[in-house]
Amino acid sequence: MKKLNLRGVAVAGVAAAALLLTSCGFGGASSTSSSEPGASGTVTTLTMLAPTYSDGTKALWTKVIKDFEAANPDVKVNLETQSWENVEGVLKTKIQGNKAPDIYNGGAFAEFAAEGLLAPTSDVASEATIADFQESFAENEKVDGTQYGLPLIASARALFYNKSLMEEAGVASVPTTWDELYSAAKAVSEKTKADGYGMPLGNEEAQGESLIWFAGNGGNFGDGSNIAVDTPANVEAAEFMKKMIDDGVTQKDAGATQRTPMLNTFIQGKLGFAYALPQTVGQIKKENPKLKYGIAPVPTKTGTPATLGVADRLMSFKNDGSKTAAVKKFMDYFFSADVYTNWVSTEGFLPTTKSGSEKLASDETLKPFLDMLPNAVFYPTTNAAWNATDGAFKSLMGQIATGKSAADVLKEIQAKADAAK
Amino acid sequence: MSVTLVPKRVSRRKSAQEGGSFLAALPWVGPALLLILAIVVFPAGYMIYNSTRKISQVGTDLKGVGFDNFAKVFSDPNLPRILLNTVVWVVVVVTVTVVLSLVLAQFLNKPFPGRTLVRMAVIVPWAASVVMTTTVFYYAAEPNYGILNKFLTDVGVLDEGFGFTKNAVPAMSMAIVIAIFVSIPFTTYTILAGLQAIPNETLEAAKMDGANRWGTYFLVILPQLRGSLAVAVLINIINVFNNLPILKIITGSIPGYSADTLMTYIFKVLQFDRRLDISSALSVVNFAIVLVIVAIYVKTVKPMKEV
Repeated sequence: MKKLNLRGVAVAGVAAAALLLTSCGFGGASSTSSSEPGASGTVTTLTMLAPTYSDGTKALWTKVIKDFEAANPDVKVNLETQSWENVEGVLKTKIQGNKAPDIYNGGAFAEFAAEGLLAPTSDVASEATIADFQESFAENEKVDGTQYGLPLIASARALFYNKSLMEEAGVASVPTTWDELYSAAKAVSEKTKADGYGMPLGNEEAQGESLIWFAGNGGNFGDGSNIAVDTPANVEAAEFMKKMIDDGVTQKDAGATQRTPMLNTFIQGKLGFAYALPQTVGQIKKENPKLKYGIAPVPTKTGTPATLGVADRLMSFKNDGSKTAAVKKFMDYFFSADVYTNWVSTEGFLPTTKSGSEKLASDETLKPFLDMLPNAVFYPTTNAAWNATDGAFKSLMGQIATGKSAADVLKEIQAKADAAK
Repeated sequence: MSVTLVPKRVSRRKSAQEGGSFLAALPWVGPALLLILAIVVFPAGYMIYNSTRKISQVGTDLKGVGFDNFAKVFSDPNLPRILLNTVVWVVVVVTVTVVLSLVLAQFLNKPFPGRTLVRMAVIVPWAASVVMTTTVFYYAAEPNYGILNKFLTDVGVLDEGFGFTKNAVPAMSMAIVIAIFVSIPFTTYTILAGLQAIPNETLEAAKMDGANRWGTYFLVILPQLRGSLAVAVLINIINVFNNLPILKIITGSIPGYSADTLMTYIFKVLQFDRRLDISSALSVVNFAIVLVIVAIYVKTVKPMKEV
């Protein structure tokens, strides 16, 4: 009898364990509770999902929301922050569970717009707010002529160089072309203990690093209607990246290097050159103020200026459409010059509004980056296949450092992008 | 009193035999059944359902596509390498774990001073969070500041830090070592329990018959460990096969799919390609493989057969 029982228990246990363990990829609907609008009183509760740009992002948003709620007692905003790595996964779960956030801060948006999930900007912001955005940015937010995103921040990449290491390696001038960067990085890695150039092709930022190099050869990732990764200009750029890695002028294991740790080694003074962001300036000031470094335009193949520009946006998911008036109040409040410039400059980004640019034009830290913005190449975020392209870069681009040819890798990425159409 | 009670009892039992037993049992097994339905059957069913749908990248269900997703999965050029990795991963981890645990359990079964302490120490890797343990290993192997690399360069084995977690083969080997490390406690304890259930008489009989130590072990002890070994191997196979945290942390930054097992590949398809439908199909394949392994194992080893 005992044996029999044991057998039953064991079989059931094994079956349950097999089922449980194999089905652990299942993500149930999130348990966020949203209050009924207009049930009693007139307080509308908005949900907001935002990624963290820095350690201070959550506090910054919390303050904006607190001040907003004080001015608008009939609206409450529930903030949820997530890391950049997780935010899109969380959003996807929420959409599947019909709990899409009323306000969402993110990068890609075209596929949401294409499926009719987003509210047009004209519904969720006043005309004055919409008219205040710089045209180039507003243009980037349109799908088929309708604007869906409110450009929140802009950023550009620039070359950061370590002056002490350049001196030690005998490099006299700051590189402006690929070949100059190659020889300068080579000199630094051979003559000093540091690595020459930091190339982060791990899954944190491979798409960013790639586009900086592609842009330096007049390339890009395509446009709103067509993803074009596997082009001659891009292949040539990728081959040059591979040459840098193979010749050992970059840090080791470039294919598995993430951007944040790579920039940390630059801040510690153990890296000659790296492409970095406006925020890096503040980080250096805080963590290693003694570092002797400079900021210069991105070196390109011929020396004509080009860089990667990034713009993130706020958008609003329609849901049942009952909360657009409240969302409008929030957007108008947030994009008013004082609130907005304080937010943008605290995070160390470049402003996207006309009023904000006027206010920040005198900022010396931001100036080199503001100057580069006109020549910036953007991600094709309005293309519905961009998300898949982005993911393909993150998981596959690093292979140029592990032996695959540049042309093959770009072909593989292109195939993933085409499959997502 | 007793006269009236007896016929009543009989009639009750009769009705139970005639099919009322299920209804009578329902209140007792109902909660458990409900739980199994909610957390086991429903997710598995939902997964299978998803694998036959076309789901957009943002997660909206577009239409049913039958077995298209499976066709895509099986024509995936990355699949052979991934399956090979999975087989190597499972076989090496489970075999080494079981062999080491047999030795360790034998050792812990002998009385010696401080045995309780050693027994408790063995549990530590089991008690600690796998993610934490793995992260500690991951940082130790960091090429620039990891303690393992520092040690190896200081004693002169390496000239400079090596990216153990940045290249497919070393990273996979490292993940295997960690998986063995965290699987040993459970396996050891299962075998230890088996060892303690072996009646002393059989050992004494072996001694009387003049069996040497190895003979006693392989012919007397090992056959009696069959039950606990079977449980240990089976649970380990399923566990290791479906392991995500160790591989995700150790091999996660390696570009391409050269260090992926089926489980991490499912995760990558979900995270980077955003294909909920394809990853569901992969999960179904994963599930089927586990079921087949378990079925073959149960059929050939007959773990429940009496010795």
